[in-house]
Amino acid sequence: MSGRWGVGLAAALLMLWFAVPVVPILVWSFADQWRFPAVLPQQWGLRGWALAADEGLVPALMRSLGLGSVVAVLAVALGLGTGRTLARRSSAPGSRWRFLLAVLLLAPVALPPFALAMGLDVLLLRWRVPDAVALVVLLTVFALPYTTYTLRAGFLSLDAELEDQARMLGASRSTAFLRVTLPALAPTVMVATFLAFLIGWSDYIVTAVVTGGQFTTLPVLIGSAASRIGNEPLLGVLSLVSVGVPLTLLLLSGSIMRRTVTRSTAKGGSHAV
Amino acid sequence: MTRLAALLAAGLTAAVLVLSILTLVLTATGLMPLVGTPGATLRAFDAVRGDLLLAVRESLVIATSSTVLAGAIGMSVALVALASPGGSRLLAATTTAPVPVAHIVAAVSFALLLSDAGLANRLSGLDTASWPPLVAGPWPVASVATFAWKESAFVALVVTASLGPAVRDFSEVAALLGAGWRERVRYVLLPLALPALGAACAIVFLFTLGSYEVVWLLGQAYPEPLPVTAYRLFTSLDLQARPQAAAVALTTVGLAMAAAVASVGVLRRSGVSR
Repeated sequence: MSGRWGVGLAAALLMLWFAVPVVPILVWSFADQWRFPAVLPQQWGLRGWALAADEGLVPALMRSLGLGSVVAVLAVALGLGTGRTLARRSSAPGSRWRFLLAVLLLAPVALPPFALAMGLDVLLLRWRVPDAVALVVLLTVFALPYTTYTLRAGFLSLDAELEDQARMLGASRSTAFLRVTLPALAPTVMVATFLAFLIGWSDYIVTAVVTGGQFTTLPVLIGSAASRIGNEPLLGVLSLVSVGVPLTLLLLSGSIMRRTVTRSTAKGGSHAV
Repeated sequence: MTRLAALLAAGLTAAVLVLSILTLVLTATGLMPLVGTPGATLRAFDAVRGDLLLAVRESLVIATSSTVLAGAIGMSVALVALASPGGSRLLAATTTAPVPVAHIVAAVSFALLLSDAGLANRLSGLDTASWPPLVAGPWPVASVATFAWKESAFVALVVTASLGPAVRDFSEVAALLGAGWRERVRYVLLPLALPALGAACAIVFLFTLGSYEVVWLLGQAYPEPLPVTAYRLFTSLDLQARPQAAAVALTTVGLAMAAAVASVGVLRRSGVSR
């Protein structure tokens, strides 16, 4: 079949498309000297890493980790509520409110973050809301659609009677939720946490607008390095770190998830799959 | 407990949306000036009118071409993964590459790839003068490429997830009934993928319309797209520029809302979603 060659070629081209753009930042992070038109650096080394340390990579990294984590915790905690509400059957009472909630929670995806941040910034200045609070609130609102709809899918795939059974066996409402529903949802919660973390971790423009560039997260540091000329090794290192952290989290969560699934299968749990 | 969280989430989202858009309206129309007395005026819109139209055009060009490319590439990934069961795992792994890459990092990567001293030109062997101005040139090539790269992964993930395992069975039944690859794509796979593809493309369009970092780093100095114009005016030392920034931001919000309503309408009318 000649089609097989075509499919193989298409697959190879698509893999190149996704992989190639990561190459320049990888090479530049370990290049001390890479003058045009050489295809490979004249001199490999760690100059970019020293530059990055001088520019404040570590504090910026800490700020971004903190921002990502806070946004993740808040957006998942709230998303558990909205996701569960939106997973109710349409025949259950209050379906009109749920429709409104569904539309409301899609709106932040449709609207430009820079515009909302600019609008709110004026008010926050007048009301003297601290920048950090404003930043967390805005980014949580932008992360909510992702956690809501991920967790909604999780709740939909869950056996609704599980929690009822726990209740009948005497568990209080919150115990049933915390001990039965939440553990069963763990993989979905992990995905939602990762997505919300990424919103806080990768944001540039909302941070820039709300804090006036005073809160130097990793993306803000990258932005300021990118607007100057001729520091590619520095840019490479900052970019590599920015990609490396979520990538590590992704791989870690994958291995944790695999281990939990194997463990509960080993115990003979039939619902592990 | 969960009900309280849902209420809090809804309240927070509604408050942020309503307050920010309301403030933009008041600022742009002179009713809420940073200094001086309030008075209704459209002076801010008038002052930026020429640039605003060019910015709208620039933003629409970038968002449309990025969406078309991301949709086509993302759909191709789903189709190729279906056609090659063996190689689909490696392809799926590569497709997730853009996911942990922040947009500002993606922009940096494409600058280091496509600028006149970038990796692509090093490989091409041309000198810097003969290399086309892909970054910051008259056509937003680098910006569109960056968005297409980042968002094609998103489209691929959404479409692949929506197709599910049953699709392979349908496709095989069609093949047994004598349908070639092309017919299977045209009459089986594409119709089944269309709801997810349409929704993903709508999200990509809205996202690229309002995204700042990529077009700021890779775009030309003039005309600028909407987010760059708005942020430049917003950070201007001249306080009179604030209402103008609000006017540009408000235009972007209006454009995004119109696009959202239109895409929901199109998706509904084509019977793709109910």
